[in-house]
Amino acid sequence: MTILENLKKVFEGKFGDILSHNNITLFNFSRNTNETVEVKGGNKLVIDISKATEEEKKLVKNILDSRVQSENEAFLMDHSSEKTLKIKRSLPFGESEELLKFYKDKLKPEMYKALEASIIVKNVFERGEDISEMKRDISDKYPTFGNNLCNLVTRGYFNEHFKELYQSMLEDEEFDINAYQRKVEKIIKSLPYTVFITRYKSYDELSGEVRFKLDRLKKYGTGKLLLHGLGRENVNTTMTILEEYRENNHINMQIEINPKKTIITATLIF
Amino acid sequence: MKLSQITFSELASKDILELYGKSIDDEGFIVEKDNPSQRVLTPNGEEIPLKEWGGIRKGSEAFIKKDTFSLIELAKKLE
Repeated sequence: MTILENLKKVFEGKFGDILSHNNITLFNFSRNTNETVEVKGGNKLVIDISKATEEEKKLVKNILDSRVQSENEAFLMDHSSEKTLKIKRSLPFGESEELLKFYKDKLKPEMYKALEASIIVKNVFERGEDISEMKRDISDKYPTFGNNLCNLVTRGYFNEHFKELYQSMLEDEEFDINAYQRKVEKIIKSLPYTVFITRYKSYDELSGEVRFKLDRLKKYGTGKLLLHGLGRENVNTTMTILEEYRENNHINMQIEINPKKTIITATLIF
Repeated sequence: MKLSQITFSELASKDILELYGKSIDDEGFIVEKDNPSQRVLTPNGEEIPLKEWGGIRKGSEAFIKKDTFSLIELAKKLE
């Protein structure tokens, strides 16, 4: 029996004429109605259950129980229903599903959950839909890294950089997955004060970016800047940039390089 | 699992909870009306403030939150 037929049985005596609309396909519990049931927008039946009798409430509850438990339907707030459909349309598949699989056993569970949500946010964005609430949810749940991780997903760092980082660390004889997880976490949390040294930018561009960020961070008092590079060429570039500050008495440097000299994380403290 | 054609607006949240024998405690959490010291939990064991409640799915009164993470889990189960 359809929802409409069931509701007719509950309210027919009082609202038979309203419920005789055969084009009703949506049902929404709300308020702001003059009667217990009203048709709005041609196909939506709005029910103000606060106006129903105790007997009617009991029968409506039975209908809901039947839909949820027997028909296996999720009974949601209208906004949550729309949000769930939006998510469903953007669940990872193909390339993004493969990307998630890669990180499944490599990231900490909370980092992995944030990555999955961020990939969905990226897919939603690419469909031209609003992502502000979803981004806020990620930041609220993971305040120390959620927003940064979301931004790194948008910029493609999980497609290349963090994969390359894993491959480089894996080549070390004493590879430890915990060290990889710590490194990823450090980079993500430090995003606002990190410069990624990459071969896609010229030396002058990278050097200028470091100088610009240093000046800005000095002004805003963060007190440190991270330089992060992968591959021998980028490690060498990073070391050359660091040379520019070697004589600077106001800057201390902490440099981490792996034994094969393919990963560098340098922290400038000022 | 499917999304129901029946939904509720934020205005009717308390009416729906009332149907299910729930009410709201002083701190804004959903509780059993007959036993207000017992807060309703999600299937993951989280307490649910009214403002974070998203709806109900199959289970022993499975109340769920409306944040992105809860709805991702729901969306994965949809046909």
